[in-house]
This record gives sequence, structure tokens and C-alpha cells, in this order.
Amino acid sequence: MEESVTKKFVHEESGSVTSLCGAVEACLSQGLRRRALGLFKTSSTTALLHKIAKHSPEAALISKRVIELENIDPNRRSSSSSDSTTKPVLMKNASLQNVNLLPKYLWIRLALFEKQLSRIIDYLVSNASKYYDKDALVADPDYGSILSSLLVGPCALDYSRTKTADHFWTDPPADELVQRHRISSSHSTPPSMRRPIPNFRRSLNASSEDSTTRCITQQDYVESLHQNSRATLLFGKNNVLVLPAKADQTEPMPGYLSLHQTASCLTIKWTPNQLMNGFTESDGLDKSIYWDYALQVRLDEIVYVHCHQDVETGGTVILVGQDGVQRPPIHFPRGGHMLAFLSCLETGLLPHGRLDPPLWSQRSGTAKANNKRKRPLPALVENEDEPKDFVFRIIDNSNHKDMFKRHELMERHSHLPNKVRTQLGSSSTSSESSTKSFSIDQNGASEALSNICIQAVCDSMKRQIISRAFYGWLAYCRHLSTVRTHLSGLVHNNIVPGDNADEGLSEQKWTELFVDGVLNNADEVYRLTYYGGVAHELRKEVWPYLLGHYKFGSTLAQREELSEQTKQAYETTMSEWLAVEAIVRQRDKETQANAIAKLSSESTSGEQVPPQIQRDLSNDVFEDISDYDYESNEEESNAEGDDKTKRPKKTKQNTVIYDGSDDEKQQIHTNNCTADTNPSANVEESETKDNETHKENDETRLTNSVLNESSDTNRNADEQPTTSKTHKNKIEDNHEDLQRFIGNVIVTNPSVDMTNLPVDYQHTKVSLDALTEEGGSSLDTLDCLESHGLVSPARSACVSPASSNGGVYSPELLETFGLNLHRIEKDVQRCDRNYWYFSGDNLDKLRNVMCTYVWEHLDIGYMQGMCDLVAPLLVIFNDESLTYACFCHLMERMVENFPNGNAMDCHFANMRSLIQILDSEMYELMHSHGDYTHFYFCYRWFLLDFKRELVYNDVFAFWEVIWAAQQVASSHFVLFLALALLEIYRDIILSNSMDFTDIIKFFNEMAERHDAQAVLRIARELVLQLQLLIENK
Amino acid sequence: MATRKKVLLKVIILGDSGVGKTSLMNQYVNKKFSNQYKATIGADFLTKEVIVDDRIVTMQIWDTAGQERFQSLGVAFYRGADCCVLVFDVTAPNTFKSLDSWRDEFLIQASPREPENFPFVLLGNKVDLEPRAISSKRAQQWCQSKNGIPYFETSAKEALNVEQAFQSIARNALTQQNQTVDLYNEFPDQIKLTNTTNRNSNGDSCAC
Repeated sequence: MEESVTKKFVHEESGSVTSLCGAVEACLSQGLRRRALGLFKTSSTTALLHKIAKHSPEAALISKRVIELENIDPNRRSSSSSDSTTKPVLMKNASLQNVNLLPKYLWIRLALFEKQLSRIIDYLVSNASKYYDKDALVADPDYGSILSSLLVGPCALDYSRTKTADHFWTDPPADELVQRHRISSSHSTPPSMRRPIPNFRRSLNASSEDSTTRCITQQDYVESLHQNSRATLLFGKNNVLVLPAKADQTEPMPGYLSLHQTASCLTIKWTPNQLMNGFTESDGLDKSIYWDYALQVRLDEIVYVHCHQDVETGGTVILVGQDGVQRPPIHFPRGGHMLAFLSCLETGLLPHGRLDPPLWSQRSGTAKANNKRKRPLPALVENEDEPKDFVFRIIDNSNHKDMFKRHELMERHSHLPNKVRTQLGSSSTSSESSTKSFSIDQNGASEALSNICIQAVCDSMKRQIISRAFYGWLAYCRHLSTVRTHLSGLVHNNIVPGDNADEGLSEQKWTELFVDGVLNNADEVYRLTYYGGVAHELRKEVWPYLLGHYKFGSTLAQREELSEQTKQAYETTMSEWLAVEAIVRQRDKETQANAIAKLSSESTSGEQVPPQIQRDLSNDVFEDISDYDYESNEEESNAEGDDKTKRPKKTKQNTVIYDGSDDEKQQIHTNNCTADTNPSANVEESETKDNETHKENDETRLTNSVLNESSDTNRNADEQPTTSKTHKNKIEDNHEDLQRFIGNVIVTNPSVDMTNLPVDYQHTKVSLDALTEEGGSSLDTLDCLESHGLVSPARSACVSPASSNGGVYSPELLETFGLNLHRIEKDVQRCDRNYWYFSGDNLDKLRNVMCTYVWEHLDIGYMQGMCDLVAPLLVIFNDESLTYACFCHLMERMVENFPNGNAMDCHFANMRSLIQILDSEMYELMHSHGDYTHFYFCYRWFLLDFKRELVYNDVFAFWEVIWAAQQVASSHFVLFLALALLEIYRDIILSNSMDFTDIIKFFNEMAERHDAQAVLRIARELVLQLQLLIENK
Repeated sequence: MATRKKVLLKVIILGDSGVGKTSLMNQYVNKKFSNQYKATIGADFLTKEVIVDDRIVTMQIWDTAGQERFQSLGVAFYRGADCCVLVFDVTAPNTFKSLDSWRDEFLIQASPREPENFPFVLLGNKVDLEPRAISSKRAQQWCQSKNGIPYFETSAKEALNVEQAFQSIARNALTQQNQTVDLYNEFPDQIKLTNTTNRNSNGDSCAC
């Protein structure tokens, strides 16, 4: 009944009326107390109606009418006579006849048309207890009243029998379709030669069954002459005279001529006036004969159109078919109707056919053209004295097959512009000609023509709407195919529900999942993490699982072993690159010295020295030495400065070792150290103890020193197996180490600076002697110096006594690593130094992890941004080797984002598609700014997994969800996070119509101010949205 | 030219990582120095309105990542630049050595109309630090060999010479833009091109 909303009236035979009545009937039948009420008739609801008629005036009214109709009905059926004594009571509803033929839901229909239905139902509902069972729908206090109130709407509508111009919006009743078919088929067969009975007259409302059917046929046929959904009416004119060929009729009959355009062809129809709706002169006669006169000509069967123009009587058109047979002549009344018809015909033929010679070119042409053409049409010059004849040939331009194929494909849009133009053109021509006409039925014609005009406009609008709908549908299909082909890989097919996962992996959930040191339920861990993150205290334990370092189901022992191995490998790698670092530093010093020398020589000599020579000049040793001195002093002062803070800690560490274990254990510990059986175990042991005792920031510093010390000891043990096993000896060892360190510097220096003057030696010795003295005087200082040895080039040189010339390392390797080292240093120094964790010495740890990674992956090398990726891991783990291992896992995915990978371009392309699918408005905006589609504003987001966009706590939250999402929902979750970031600010972006630069600036300014939880939530929603879109196949 | 409402000068800062590009930009625009800057990832820019020869112009100063591996990103940012600022660290010889490659890379990627005359400005930063590795003379020499690029010795930390340097940058950029606009004016088709595109798109929407 939706249509009723817009139309305010509904055709009585509309399928929706029937279905509504059926629904009402079903509602009323349900739970009806038939037995109790003695309702045994076939239509128990009708019986019910009669029953309640006593109490309800509305019901009484309808009941009375139903009875009346039922009484009429048998009458009608029996009567075949023309005399209809009993006219339908409800003249208003002509359709009653029809209803009688379809007596289904009769009373409900009647009540509906009489607008009484809702009141009757209302009555039934309020008295439900009387007629219905307790569990009946009508008896239900809620549903009953809903039912009656629902029917108020339909009862407010008007119901009509007449079909309106837009009746094609409704579904045509089946009988209409059948009748239409009958008409067309009856004309394809040779019609019988029945003679019409002139005075056979009968009203349209004749009550014989035969005439009733005929009546419907006729009406439907007439209706089919109007504009409808199947055919466009191009031309219509009444009182056109035709002498039917088959009839022995001698006089031409007036009738209605119409020209219809359907999808496949043009059709000319002529209907005798006797069959037309408004024809009332004839009554009481069987008109079936007229049906045989009616004409229906398909234009594709016609080859020639003969026109005979007669000033007195108008014009005659004779259609000649392919077989050469003439169709009955069509005689137009005066007033340019023939011309109008021809012009409509011509335009209707377009674009696939045309008239030859063209109708209108003749008109526009001058007399010359007239002479040129054999049979020019004098167009609009009916008042010309001479009658003229013309012949037009209908030429089919197009390949029929093509055309039909296209029609079959319903590609209406390809024809549409033409059609619209055709219709508009034809209507305007018709109205034009009608205004110029001065025939008797001018008024009627112009009215009809203006109707046609309006219909044409309506039709073109309708077609536009349909084509738009079609385009919309097409776009949607394409859209879906894009989604499926390009984006299905972005999300997982199975949707993992997020029930009870809002809190994420809390301590409580963890204790449930982590049984006896084994974590088995990987899916649940991922799910909880994806939907709610991990409790901060648990991150240190959970992250290695999420990153794939720890295996799910591994035992504590297995994990410890893994950690052990990791640690050991880490130590080994570190010692490797530390050695190289020493050489690199030595070289740096040389180049630095050279550069400074160059500078000073430039400034002192004042004359231009060619650059090549300059580079080789390194004679200014003073600069070199002072530089070295400066560094040594700095080291010293560092050591001294540290001394104050270091000393108590050192003691503390000792106490830990001694207090926390008995002498025997200490012995073992020392043994381990020196015998080099398991150095990392030793390191770990002391480190673990440190971790237990010191929670403060400085603890790491201590760890560092311990680590260095023990590894140092190990190396010493390697070199000097006879070293005593006492602690004191160990310290002596360190002392000796220092001695060698000094010696080493002295030895290596000459080899470095070949051209150095002896003065150089002096300087070096002096400074180093001072250092030695100081170192010798205080063992603690020595220790501290040692602890700093990690970053001290001399100390490393001690480990690997290769000179700065490179020794065992190739110059390429040295150069590559050196370059990387400098970059790392530069970036590490700048990395998050304002974050509490890195305010101390933890930047050194960061540097170590970074250098180890680059040493192991020299082909990849260091790239800016890597530090940012290590930092959060280090903050969580506070353990270099674990951080290193996890970082390696993380980089497996991330490395592709860096400039030598191609993941970034993929990300951008995917972002583009995603925005297109999920936010078309945003996409439009981006499309309007060409550059926007580069998506470079996302570059940093993807490169660092949003690390720079968020504060640390939010980075943790983002990262773990990204990792978990790989298993739960999408391995490209970053895309959805990016999209969510855009969505959160979409109003700002759209309202300001931001372009490429605006949006870069906007997001750079918004960095670390985002609502991380909201972004995560939206991202998860977007994933789900896409999953549903893909699933909905 | 006088009829143009808004003049936007696009300036790109290039140079090795850690030479102080971000610091220079922030010192100039925000008059602030911080030692908390992180390594620039991707690109960022700041805008500042300046008066050049009695004209108000908006400078859009683009700060880029210093690692040469990220230069492939450049093409998106370099396009339409009016001036390129090369920065090196006077205490780090390597940063001076790579100036050539920065300049070449920019010319390749931005492909300005007249590469020979495209305005560059060289800034030797961190003059507050000791010891110096690149003398003023050597930098001047390099500039002369490159068609007389203006050279400024700056310190973003001490705000030394920064204002003067950027004034010169703005002036050079404006000159460049005027020349470019003049060049473009010789091809009035450009404007029509956009109109045609608009019309086409309208036509498309009508057809459906």
C-alpha cells in the first residue's frame, strides 16, 4: 500500500488490495470461536459480519450490501439477456461486477471501499471476548488494537476503478494482461468477415456475463492505448476515418488512431469509436464485430507510406507492407493531423530508421529543394490549392539483431537520451501542429496532445529515474566487485566476535589462561588483546607471545632456554660489532683531525690549496692531539662524575651477590666467570638479582656495568687461562686490562697517524699517564671506566687488537658499518629523550639493540625510524636481548615499509580503495585534490605503526592490537587505524576541504593528541563493516 | 602580478640528518630552540607570513627527512618548490660533502624549468659549536662553483643569522615565482584546460 501514500487513491483491483484483504481475513479467522457462534458457513468471517451486524451499525451497512450483491450475483449468472433490470446497487463502484466475479474477501473489500473496515475491526476487538478465543490475535490487547489502528490508514484512502495516467505504477491485474494478449493475437490471425450490426447498442454496464468480460477487454484495450509502461504514446487522434479492408463496410468508420513506441518497434493502432470508452451512442449491441475492424500495424512490416493530401477533406495515409499488400487507408480530418502524424512517425523511427525522403528537410529547404526532390511534402501548406501525393520509404538504418540484443540486455540508458529527445520532440511538434490546426475537434485534440505532452514529460522523468536507479545499481555492483577483488585480502573471512572481551587481557584472565607456566589458548589471547588490549603489567610477559618470540604452549623451561640462547647470541653479536666500532671510531678521529687540520691550514696559510691535496694533508698534529686529549679528559671527567653515583651501587651489587648466596655459590659464580663455561648464565644471574633489588632507573646502569665486567672477565679468561679465581684477582685483572688499554692506544696511534711527529707521542703519553695514575689509584674509578668501556673506543680496541687500518675487516664493511653507526648515534640521541625512560642511560641500550640489528642486517642497514620502533619494546622489556629478539620479529613485517620495500605503495593503494568503499564523500574530496591521493600524510603512520602519533601508553595499546589483529581480523589493521584517524576528524577535513598540505599539517599538529581508544574502536568497527560487506555475497 | 591576492612561497629544506633542518625551521617560524626534536620522518611544514619588498607573502617551509634513502619520497614534496635551502653542519665534514648529491637530487626530482637558475640557498649551521670542520671560505667556494648561491652561517640554537637567511630565501623564492608565473602566462591554455575538465565532468553527470 505504499503507493497509496503518494497517490491518495488506489485501484480496487490492485494486487495489494487483495493481499491486504487476505491478511485481514486471516487475522479475523484466527482464533474465531466458530462452533460457539454457530458459524459454519464456508466464509466464516462473512457469517461473523452478519452476526455482529445486529450490534454494529457499520457492520450492518456492509452486511446489507453483501447480501444485496449476493442476491444480484445468481441473477447475473443466469441471465444472458441484454435486459439488465437489476442494476448494481453500488453504482459508485463499477468494479463490483468484477468483485462478483472474484468473490474472495467480498465483505472485507466492501468494507474497505466503504471505509468502514477499521470500525468493524474496532468493534470486533473491543468485543473480542464474545467472538474469539483467549489466545486469538484479535483478542490480544495489544495486537488487536494495532490491527484496527493499522487499518485506519487504508480506510482513509479512495478506491477507484478508473485507471489513471500513472496506473502503470501499479501491477496490472492478470486479466488485463490476458485481454491484451487476446487483442494482439486476434489481429495476427485473419479476422472473420462478420458484418457489424449498426444498431446493436448496449451500455457499458450491461449485465450479461459475456458483455462483462467484453467490457473488461474493451476497457483494458482502451487503456492500453494510453501511455503505459510498455509503450510510449507518440501520437493520438480521434475521429480518424478508416475503411476496414476485411469488412464489407462501405463507409469509412471514425476511430481513434494512435502511434505507440515499444522497446522493439513502432505500432500504429486504430480503434473504432464504438469500442472507445466514452462512446455512448451505441448501446445494447454486441460490439464484438468491431474488434475485427480494429487495426494494429507493426511499422517494421511497412515499407512505404503513401500520402494523399486533399485540401477539402484532410489527408489519407496508406501503409504498404513488405509483401506489397496495402493496409486500409487512414483518413485524417483536416487540420494538419496527417502532417503531425508523419512527423511523429519520423521521429519515432529514429534512431534506427528514417523516412526517405526526410520529412522536415524538405520543409526547411527552399523551392529548389522542392524541385530537386521528386515528391516534396508541402508541409503545413494545406491551404495550397493543388492536392498532392507523396510516397515515403521507411528505411531501417540499424541492424535489427543488434537492436534487439541491446533491448534484451535492457541497456535502456544507451537509448534513453534519444528516446527522451524523441518524445519531447514529438510532443512539441504535436502541440505545435494542434495549435495551428483549425479543425472542428481542435479543442479535443489539443487537450489530448497536451496530455500526451505531459505524459511524455512524465515518461522521460520516469525513465531518468529508472536509469539513475540502474546506474546506482551498476555502481553498487562495480563497487562490490572492487571490494571483492581488491579488498577481500585485507580482512579475514571469519568474523571473530568480541563478546566479553572489552576488558581485554586482564590479570584475572591471564591467570585463567596461563596455567602452570604454559599459555595454550592462543586464539583467546589474540581475541582478548584485539578487543581490549593487554593490562600494562602483563605486557612484558604477553608481548613476546604476540610477536612470535615465545611459542604458545611452551613451558617455562623452554622459554628460559630460549632466553638463554637469545642472550648468548646477542652477546656474541655485540662483541663482534663493538670491535668494529672501535676501528671506526679510530678512523673517525683521523678524518676529524684531517678536516680540522685542513681548516686551520686554510685559515693560517691564507692561500688556496687544491682540495685533493688538502684531503691528504694531515700534518697539523697539534689539533689531532688536542682533540684526543679532549676526549680522554671527557672520559675521565665522566668517570669521575659517575664515581659518586656509582660507588654505592657497586657496593650494593656486591652485597647482593654475597648476601643472596652462600660462599659456595659465590665460588661457583666466580668459577663460571673465569672458566668461561657459561658466561651468559652468569650475566643473567646477576642481572636478575639486580632487577629484583633495584627498581629505580639507575638499575640499568648497574646492569650495564655488571655485564661489561663479567664479559670482560670472560674474555680475559680466554686470553689468560692462568688468571686466579679470586675476586681480588679479578680486579687486578681489570687493572691489567687498563694497562693494556693504555698500551694499545700508544701502540696503535703511530700506525694510525703515519705522519705524526714525535711530539704526538709525548702528548699522548702525558695524557695517558695521567689517566693511568688516576686509574691505578682508585679501583672503583677503574671499574667505572671499564663499565664505560662499552662506548670507549680504546676499550674495544683492547678486545680486538686490530689497528684502525682495518685488520681482518674489509674497508667496505668498515665504511658501511661506520656510516650506519653515525646515523644510529645521531638518531638514538634524539629519540624520545623527553620520555622518562630514556632520560638516563637507557639510550645506550637502545643504541646497542639498534647496532646489533644493523650489524646482523647490514644489507638492510639503519634507516630512520627504526629507533622509534625499538624504543617502545625496550621500555616494556627493559632487556636488551629480549628487545632485540622481538624487534627482529617486528621488523619482519615492518621492513617492507621502509624505502627499499614496496609495502608503503601497497598501503597507499589500499587506503585509496578503502576510502572509496567506506567513505565516498571523503574520497570525492581527495579526488578533487589530485595530489591528495598520494596519501603521504599516512607515511609516518605506516612506517612507525603510529608510534609518533601517540603518547607512549597509547603506542603500547595500538601495537598489541595491531599484532593481535593479524590473527583475529586483519593482517592490515594499520590501514583501518589510518582510516579511523581520518574518520574521527572527517568533519573537520570535509568542512575545511583540506588538501594535501593542509592534512599533513593537521595530522602533524594533532600528533600525540588523538583519542587512542576511540580510534581503535572505530578501526575495529571498520574492519567489521568490510567483513560484512564481503560476506554479503 | 599585483593583482594576485595571495603569494605562497614553497621552500624545501634539504641536508643530511642531524644538521639542524627542523631546528632552523622552528627557530625561524616559532623563534624557539629545543633540543628535544626527534629525527624527522616523512615531512612536515610550517608557514610564516613575511614581508618581502613591501609585499606580504606566505612562506611554506617544508622540513624533510635527512636520510638520503627517503629521497624517493621527495618528489611529492619537492614539486612546485620556489626555493631550495641546503643545510650542512659546519662541524661535520660529511654533511658538507653530500651537498652536491642533495642539490642534484632536488633538481632531478623537482625538475624546475631552469635548473641552472633555480634559487638555492646554503646554510652552514651549528656555528656555535666547536670545533669547526668546514671553513667559511670552503663553503663560499662551493657556492661560487654553483652559480653563486648565497651562503649564510647560522646557529639555530643561538638564533644567529637565521632571520637574515630566511629573508634572503623568501626574496629568492619570490623572484623565482614571478619568473615562473611569467613563463606560465605565455601559455594561457593552462587556465582553459581546467575549465574544459570541469565541463566534461559536468557533462558526464548529466548524461546519466
